[in-house]
Amino acid sequence: MFNKEKFKQNAPAIPVLIWVGFLVGLPLVFVIILSFLTRDDLGNVVIKFTLSNYKKIFDPTYLKVFFNSFLLATLTGLITLIIGYPVAYFTANLSPKKRSLSIGLIMLPFWISSLLRTYGWIILLGNTGIINNILTKLNIIQSPFNMMYKFSTTLIGTAYMLIPFMIIAIYNSVDKLDKSLLEASYDLGASKRQTFLNITLPLTLPGIAGGFTLVFIPSLGLFFISDLLGGGMTLFLGNVINSQVTKGRNKPLAAAFSIGMIILVLIILYLYGKLTKDKKGEGLF
Amino acid sequence: MKKNLKIIISMLLSASLIFSLAACGKGEEAKEINIMTWADFIPREIIEQFEEETGIKVNYKEVASNEDMQSLLEASPDQYDLAVVTDYMVDILRRNENIQKLDKDKLPNFSNLNPVYQGQYYDESDEYSFPYAISTSFLLVNPEAVEELGANPITSYEDLWQEELDKNLVVIDWSVEIMGLVLKTLGYEYNETDPEIVAQAKDKLFELKDNIMRFETNTPEDSLLNGEAVAGFMYSNQAVKGQAANDKLEPVFPTEGFPMYIDGFVLSSEAPNLDYAHEFLNFILEPEISAKISELTSFTNPNVAAQEFLPEDFKNNIMLNPTDDIISNASLYIDVDAVLEEYEHIYSEFKMK
Repeated sequence: MFNKEKFKQNAPAIPVLIWVGFLVGLPLVFVIILSFLTRDDLGNVVIKFTLSNYKKIFDPTYLKVFFNSFLLATLTGLITLIIGYPVAYFTANLSPKKRSLSIGLIMLPFWISSLLRTYGWIILLGNTGIINNILTKLNIIQSPFNMMYKFSTTLIGTAYMLIPFMIIAIYNSVDKLDKSLLEASYDLGASKRQTFLNITLPLTLPGIAGGFTLVFIPSLGLFFISDLLGGGMTLFLGNVINSQVTKGRNKPLAAAFSIGMIILVLIILYLYGKLTKDKKGEGLF
Repeated sequence: MKKNLKIIISMLLSASLIFSLAACGKGEEAKEINIMTWADFIPREIIEQFEEETGIKVNYKEVASNEDMQSLLEASPDQYDLAVVTDYMVDILRRNENIQKLDKDKLPNFSNLNPVYQGQYYDESDEYSFPYAISTSFLLVNPEAVEELGANPITSYEDLWQEELDKNLVVIDWSVEIMGLVLKTLGYEYNETDPEIVAQAKDKLFELKDNIMRFETNTPEDSLLNGEAVAGFMYSNQAVKGQAANDKLEPVFPTEGFPMYIDGFVLSSEAPNLDYAHEFLNFILEPEISAKISELTSFTNPNVAAQEFLPEDFKNNIMLNPTDDIISNASLYIDVDAVLEEYEHIYSEFKMK
C-alpha cells in the first residue's frame, strides 16, 4: 500500500538513490561483467565469457600482491590507531572552543591536494631533503641517509594521508561516552588505568573498528603514494589495477583484480559488523 | 535543522546531476577544432598564434596516456578532431577504424617531412598520420659518480649489471621497456616471443633488481640531479632537462641499440571540423612553426624544412638532434600486444621478488 506520510518522509532520499544508482551501482555492475570478458590482440574488450581472469589473479605473484596490500592496509590501520587514539581522546576532553580548533587543525590538510602533500614528503625525506640536509649540516651523519623508495616510506605516506579518518571516528565515540560511567568507576575506587581499560576502551571499540575500516579500505587504492614514495619498488593492488588498465591494456584482468579488492573490503566490513554489532555500517558515517 | 540540511544536500545533489546530464548536450556550430594529447605537448604559444592568424578556436583536451586517447576516440569520435598518439597506437587506432585518412591535398606542407621517420610499420604509406615529435630513450649517466663507486664507465646496457652500481639506477617503469632493455643486452630484438629467449631474459632481468633504486616514468632525471642515482634509463626529453640542470651528466646511447618513439597526428574517424583540422595540421607543418615547437618542447624535429630555423644549441645537442648514425641504432617497439600480458606478469614477479 502507498503510504503518503512515509513517502513524504523519504522523498529527499530519492535523488540520492538515483545518484548512487547511477554512479556506484551501474559502474559496479559494469566492472563485474567486465571481469568475465576477454580482450583481443589490440587490447579491446570482447564479449566472450571467460573465467581466466580470475584464474590469473590466483597466480602466486599476484597473490603476493594481495598479501602485500593487506599488510600495508593493516599496518596503516594499526599505526593510525596508535597515533590517532591519544589525539582523539584528548581532543574530546578539551573545552568546546579548543576542541573545535583541534578538529579544524586535523581537517586542515584536506584543503590541499593529496598529491601535493605526497610531494611534501619527498621534500622532507629525500636524499637532498630537509631532514638529510639538517642532519648533514649538524655533522650527525656524513652522507645522506636513504629514507625513500621503501615499503616503510609508502607506509608513512598512507598513514599520514588517512589518519584524520581514524581520529574523527574515535573522537566521535569518545565524545558520546557517558561521563557518569567514568565518575561511577572512580567512585568505586578504580584507578585511571583500570577505568580506561575496563570502561573507556570497550566503549570506544566501535569507534576504533570504524576508524580502522575507514583507513584500511582507502589504503588499498592509494597507488600514487607507492609510486611516488615507494619508487615503484614493490607492487600493491592499486598499482596492478592501474597498470593493467593503462599500459597493460587489459581491462578485464584489472576488473577481476578490482573484484578481488572489493571482496577484501567486504571481509573487513563483515569483521567490523561482527565486532560492533553494527550490521548496516551506520557507525562509519 | 538536521532534516533541513538533508533536504538541502539532496537538492544540491539532484541539481548537479541535472547539470551534468545537461552538459552532455551538443553546443552550437562554431569555428573551432578539438585536439587531445598530453599536457603541454603542443605549446600554448603555437596554439595562440594559430588562433590569431585563422580565427579558429582550439579546444585542447589534456590526457594522460595513449590508452586514454584510444578510449575517448572510441567512446565519442564526433567530439574530437585531432589527437597526437605514439606509433603503436596509430596502428591500433587504424585497425580499429577509430581514425581516418588524411586529405593530403589540404596539406601542401606535408612534403616538408623527413622520410627517415615515415613509412613505418604502423602506417606504411603515411595515409593516417604524420610524425610530430620524435623521441628516444637512452642512458643518462653521471660519470664522476660512477667512477667514485669503483665501477667501469657505462657505455652499454651490459655495464648496468656491475655489482658496484648497487641501488644506484633509476629506470622507466614499464614492463615492455625494461624487458626490451634486457633483450637488447642479450643481443635479441624487442618483444621476442620465443619462450626460451623470454626465459633467458627473465633470468637476466632478475639479476638487475639489486641495482635499481627507483622505478620512475615521469621525472627520473631528478634522481640523478639529487644524487640518489648515478645512471638512469629515461626518455630523451627528460635527459635533456637533466643535462640542462647539471652539465656533468652525459647521455650514453647504448651500443646494443635503443628504442625510438614517433608521436604523430591522427584524425578522428568522425571528426566534425575536417577543414579546420587540416588547416591546423598544415600550420603545424610550416617550417618556422615546426622549429619553434621543437625548441619549446625538446623533441627531435621530423621536419626537414625546419632544420634551418632551429637554434644552434638545439642543432648541436646530440640528444635533440641525433645524427643519422645514432638513429640507425634505434628501433620501434613492434607488436607490443603479442607480448604484453606475459611481460607484465614477468615484470610483476620481478618487482615482488
